[in-house]
Amino acid sequence: MLTQRIAWILWPAFLVACAMEVVFFTLFDPADLHLFGQPVEASRMTVYSVGFFLFWGVGAASSFLTCFLQRSPWEVNRCPLPPVARPEGCPKRDGDAGCA
Amino acid sequence: MTTGAPGARPRTGPARSAPPKAAAAPAALAEAERGLFEVRQKIYPRAVHGWFARLRWAAVWFTQVLFYGLPWVAWNDRQAVLFDLGARKFYIFGLVFWPQDFIYLTLLLVAAAVSLFLFTSVAGRLWCGYACPQTVYTEIFLWIERKIEGDRSARAKLDAAPLGARKVALKAAKHGAWAALALWTGFTFVGYFTPIQVLGGSALALSLGPWETFWILFYGFATYGNAGWMREQVCKYMCPYARFQGAMFDQDTLIIAYDAGRGDPRGSRGRKADPKALGLGDCVDCGICVQVCPTGIDIREGLQYECIGCAACIDGCDQVMDKMGYPKGLIRYSTEHAMQDHSGLSGILGRFVRPRTIVYTAILAAVIVAAITALFLRVPLKVDVIRDRGAMVREVENGELENVYRLQVMNATESAHRYRIAVEGLAGVRIASEPVIEMAPASTRAFPVRIRLPAASAKGGSQKILITVSAEDASGLEVREKAVFLSPRPEN
Repeated sequence: MLTQRIAWILWPAFLVACAMEVVFFTLFDPADLHLFGQPVEASRMTVYSVGFFLFWGVGAASSFLTCFLQRSPWEVNRCPLPPVARPEGCPKRDGDAGCA
Repeated sequence: MTTGAPGARPRTGPARSAPPKAAAAPAALAEAERGLFEVRQKIYPRAVHGWFARLRWAAVWFTQVLFYGLPWVAWNDRQAVLFDLGARKFYIFGLVFWPQDFIYLTLLLVAAAVSLFLFTSVAGRLWCGYACPQTVYTEIFLWIERKIEGDRSARAKLDAAPLGARKVALKAAKHGAWAALALWTGFTFVGYFTPIQVLGGSALALSLGPWETFWILFYGFATYGNAGWMREQVCKYMCPYARFQGAMFDQDTLIIAYDAGRGDPRGSRGRKADPKALGLGDCVDCGICVQVCPTGIDIREGLQYECIGCAACIDGCDQVMDKMGYPKGLIRYSTEHAMQDHSGLSGILGRFVRPRTIVYTAILAAVIVAAITALFLRVPLKVDVIRDRGAMVREVENGELENVYRLQVMNATESAHRYRIAVEGLAGVRIASEPVIEMAPASTRAFPVRIRLPAASAKGGSQKILITVSAEDASGLEVREKAVFLSPRPEN
């Protein structure tokens, strides 16, 4: 469940970051960017790379919130894991596998 | 989880025989591997030979010779295809593209998307089965795996075996070969963005830049992970195209289909037995179609979302049909309509032209025509005229008025040019600064330009002028830009 969540958060963000990277840096030259009023001195490669991870991070934050808010009140009131996925020792682990 | 095609699951009927043998796979197959998303049964695709396997290998060779080879092709003393991100210039053979040419990239992407729609509606998941990098690299990685660890059953056995010297050696060899190929792939990828000869030199001298190193490793790791480990899971859980391709399907789309009418009821029999006497169809229930499937599905259950259209099951089944002496094509490329009315090839081809394909073709043709026209009309000289904000207007000698402009000139060709700047539009208007400018190949520069107008021609306020920049050679390059000349309003 955890790996699944991580993939849900990181993967769509990665795709969006790729698209964003192309669009943003086609329109804006890193050499023209200013950081706190100072021209960015880093090389273009650095700005492209850092920019990519920024976009990825922003996308991941959005995916994270989507995942986080996706749970219904019903699920929040109860354990979100299906019984089989509950940690060992959990008294409700061996319940009906079909009931989340 | 099925595709959008209605009725996509031809039922096999109550006569369906015992479960396929593939279900009773080696014990190692039952070992549940913790996959990325769910408890995943590891799939050991069996090697397959046949017409479609050869076609897929042809596609692998074509795409990979192109991918690995293209960065090494030279053109006019430079790399023929280079997306020089550092200099913000894209070189594609004789053309140089600048960020201002974004429209061409957009048109290219739109054309690519629409042709994907067209191919999908006509012939299903051709892209997935033959050209997608995920398929291509999985094919190559599987080939390496097969050469080192053996075919399906040998691999399953090896995975089930306890850790020993042989297992360690085989696994190390496999992962070593995978890693080497993945690194070369990463290196080639970065070679599209940094001149690959230089990149190769610094790699040999161990002096790669930090970001180059990082991106080679990043892309290499992605290749290794996707083709070595994730494989069909990428198609099943990560690929957006796989999710929406069903929307382009209809009942006349080519799919890989099992002929249930001919094959069922399934069952094993001797080679000489008469299936009719046994009450059986042509399917001998050998399970080969399941064993060769890279996504591990049973095509006999009908069209499924997981089917990437690789046709491995067709090759596998045809071999068995040959051995049994039955006609080939129990599993074949067909359409739902053709399957229903047994119309064969004519039924498939006869329905190729239909509203959906006509619309896709029309859009595709329009985009391609627009792109090519725009590319031919493209003038590789760009001029921006910006008025100098500091000084509005200045009175100079001889009773003339002067305005200062900044000319931003971009020479998008790969040769040096001399351009002459001229101005017209008002009586007596002239260039007072150096009228001839020199531009290096593929460069941008700004030039201050002083324009003077006799006071007699000045009407006050802003008056339109036309600035022309034209090459002083046979290239015929010329750009005309509008500008305004300001002069003080006469005092009342």
